[in-house]
Amino acid sequence: MSAGRGGLSSALQAALGRAAGALVFPLVAIALALAVGAVIVLATGNNPLAAYRALAVGAVGSPAAIGRTLLNATPLIFTGLAVAVAFRAGLFNIGGEGQLYIGAITAAILGVSLGFLGPLAIPVVLLACLLTGFLWGAIPGLLKARFGAHEVITTIMLNFVAINLATYLALKPFRTEGLVPGTDFIDAAARIPTIGLGLGRANYGLFVALVAAAAVYLLLWRTTLGFRLRAVGLSPGAANYAGMSIGTSTVLALAIGGAMAGLGGGVEVMGVYGKMSIPFVSNLGFNGIGVALLGRNHPAGVVLGALLFGGLASGAQELQFETDVPLDLADVLLAIILLLVTATRLVELIFGKRVREMASGTRLDEGLAS
Amino acid sequence: MAEREPTGGRAGTAGEAPVVLEMRGITKTFGAVRANDGISISLRRGEVLGILGENGAGKSTLMKILYGLYSPDAGEIFLDGERAEIKDPKDAVERGIGMVHQHFTLIPPLTVAENIVLGAEPRRGLAVDLQRAVRETGELCERYGLRVDPRARVADLSVGEQQRVEILKALYREARILVLDEPTAVLTPQETEDLFSTLKELVASGLSIILITHKLGELLGVSDRITIIRDGRVVDTVPAARTDERELARLMVGREVLLRVEKEEAEPGGVRLQAEGLVVRSSRGTVAVRGVSLEVRGGEILGIAGVDGNGQTELAEALAGTRPAEGGAVRLDGEDVTRLGAKARKRRGLAYVPEDRMAKGLVPDFALYENHALKTYDEPPYASRWGWLRPAAMRRRAAEALRAFDVRPPDPDLPARSLSGGNQQKAILARELSGDPGVIIAYQPTRGVDVGAIEFIHGQLLRQRGEGKAILLISLELEEVRSLSDRILVLCDGRIVGEVGPEATDEELGLLMAGRAG
Repeated sequence: MSAGRGGLSSALQAALGRAAGALVFPLVAIALALAVGAVIVLATGNNPLAAYRALAVGAVGSPAAIGRTLLNATPLIFTGLAVAVAFRAGLFNIGGEGQLYIGAITAAILGVSLGFLGPLAIPVVLLACLLTGFLWGAIPGLLKARFGAHEVITTIMLNFVAINLATYLALKPFRTEGLVPGTDFIDAAARIPTIGLGLGRANYGLFVALVAAAAVYLLLWRTTLGFRLRAVGLSPGAANYAGMSIGTSTVLALAIGGAMAGLGGGVEVMGVYGKMSIPFVSNLGFNGIGVALLGRNHPAGVVLGALLFGGLASGAQELQFETDVPLDLADVLLAIILLLVTATRLVELIFGKRVREMASGTRLDEGLAS
Repeated sequence: MAEREPTGGRAGTAGEAPVVLEMRGITKTFGAVRANDGISISLRRGEVLGILGENGAGKSTLMKILYGLYSPDAGEIFLDGERAEIKDPKDAVERGIGMVHQHFTLIPPLTVAENIVLGAEPRRGLAVDLQRAVRETGELCERYGLRVDPRARVADLSVGEQQRVEILKALYREARILVLDEPTAVLTPQETEDLFSTLKELVASGLSIILITHKLGELLGVSDRITIIRDGRVVDTVPAARTDERELARLMVGREVLLRVEKEEAEPGGVRLQAEGLVVRSSRGTVAVRGVSLEVRGGEILGIAGVDGNGQTELAEALAGTRPAEGGAVRLDGEDVTRLGAKARKRRGLAYVPEDRMAKGLVPDFALYENHALKTYDEPPYASRWGWLRPAAMRRRAAEALRAFDVRPPDPDLPARSLSGGNQQKAILARELSGDPGVIIAYQPTRGVDVGAIEFIHGQLLRQRGEGKAILLISLELEEVRSLSDRILVLCDGRIVGEVGPEATDEELGLLMAGRAG
């Protein structure tokens, strides 16, 4: 193995080099966004340094803050993965929101009826969420493979169907009496427990999310199915030439994406709320698109992107508490970061071509061409 | 003038004529690549200047600079002795530079006259004066002897006629310098001859022409002088009358080149690939292959000649299984595989080198080892029974194959995109020929690759033939079909219109290719 070790360490070095290169671009975008944000804070008559200090304290300044950040990040990891898997296969999954709702209502219904199982209900219910998300995600895949319906349109439209379907189920057949309209609470023993350590409501769903990210990584880069999905995503022509079925890949990629978002919905219900109340949390699915873009559609990047999103959201609360800067600054910062990450030509203008090459995973224009 | 004085060709006419265009010390760098490195050329009134170079030598970059598409990093352009800074193509056109691109820029549903005046329409009030457009187009055709009907729709024209429309478009805008980029790539031999006689008439009337090509033989017949470019530099400028193909090839490649392929007598065995009454639709839904039957025996190379777009792509894909056949049958070693997909046919020993390496043959952003396993990624030793990949095995096998096929650099972790065209093609060959296939379909196997790679690829195909493989060679390069094939079928409008031997003349083949004989 002595010869092998040399090869291994050089491969490791190359991998680390790639990872560093991959980080440069988002970091540049974040730095630029902070600079622009500073100008905005100045314009509101506040001190940018104080504002950013409050933002940082609110995001990571205490165990409670870290717990909030992790809590916010958990569902975004799932919805980010939902977008990333599909994107690697050359597809835009805008249906994360609806897929999350499908998983959430699945957990809300089954969590109550299987509550007698106690902790055993957790894996069973989560598997069911995975399955319903998978099936829901397969619908736009089938529509595309069979009839050529563009997945952007169908996933968007299916969001409305899913949200209204889940709302109907939670408000009519499965409604219970209570102050907040929605389903009944799941038995406490059948919920995902919190981590503790002063991290507040942060729960073990985070670890489910990390496992999901690792699973997506292994799927994409270590299995034959992932090889096929990536080949189809990068070059449908070559995939067809090699005898791969593009239709099957399309269905599977969107279905696996749906499964991720569905699992995310299940974790939200089982870990945070214990029930599906109406109105339910919104925009987790849509923010997943931003998380995936920021994370360059790589599972590890998705985790980092979700942490940034989650951190900015929890930091913004402290910001509003400590200064006169409105909560919306966090949204503005996120918007600018995403703008810079996706508007690769803009950054190229500022920093030259080299930086842009590092952004290759976020090229919207290439994906849209098909 | 640093270069040799032109005396040959149609010397005397061009020798003393004034220089209309001079490009001096043109340098252009893209990233780490110096595409043009101090290139100087000059063009005289009434001459045809041939620019010869391999793919990637820098010809296109130079012409894009002339046409204002790129601005040079260094160097100057002089038009009629005056320094000119060409800002964009519009500026180039106004200065009398016309460009006929390899891929036409015509609008098929419009008429010839409409296409020609487009963007410079004669007007009457606010409306386009179509009658005047037709009249002026007619006059232009008359003056230069370019026969096209101004009222015909471009979609109904042959490729040769469309090219004439492109030339007329430039002439309508009063071009004095006409640049033609690989104009013969889409033409039959007869159409090529027509084009060249047109070009001779044009220069006789005072135009100056730059002809860009990588085909040696053509340039000798039509140019006055030939400038050879290699690796972004001018190697030499020679009068056409004082050189020959051998010298040009040596200058272009930088070493002696085998122009003719040496091959032994074929020893055809049993039929290994067979098509019977094959009917195939194109992606646009039209019937592109109309009942093709053919047989390829072990130990022979069957060539398919034809002009681009006559059903070659659909035929190759239907044989390989990447496109369904509408009718007819395909048999591999006697087994009917018509209903089988590409993977199943590959497993039965069919190798397929597609015509478009960047869109089909390779996933450009995959590493070479992933591309090497593109068709076998889910089989041992690359995958376990449960569908786990074994990248280490992929890397090891790829490294061996890349070295065996002289792919440079032979690093399996490089993305396919980063290789030159010739090395990409060799990487495809390495994949397709590994696993000892019995039947090989090679479609344009040397398109756009350098002469060294052509030699290598041709050698590999002949070696496979010697080992008893059945090879179907589909190519748009007549020379390639003729030098490699044992028999030649001519494909025209989706049908086989004739079979000839490799000794057939250009004329014979050309008539068949144009569908005018047999």
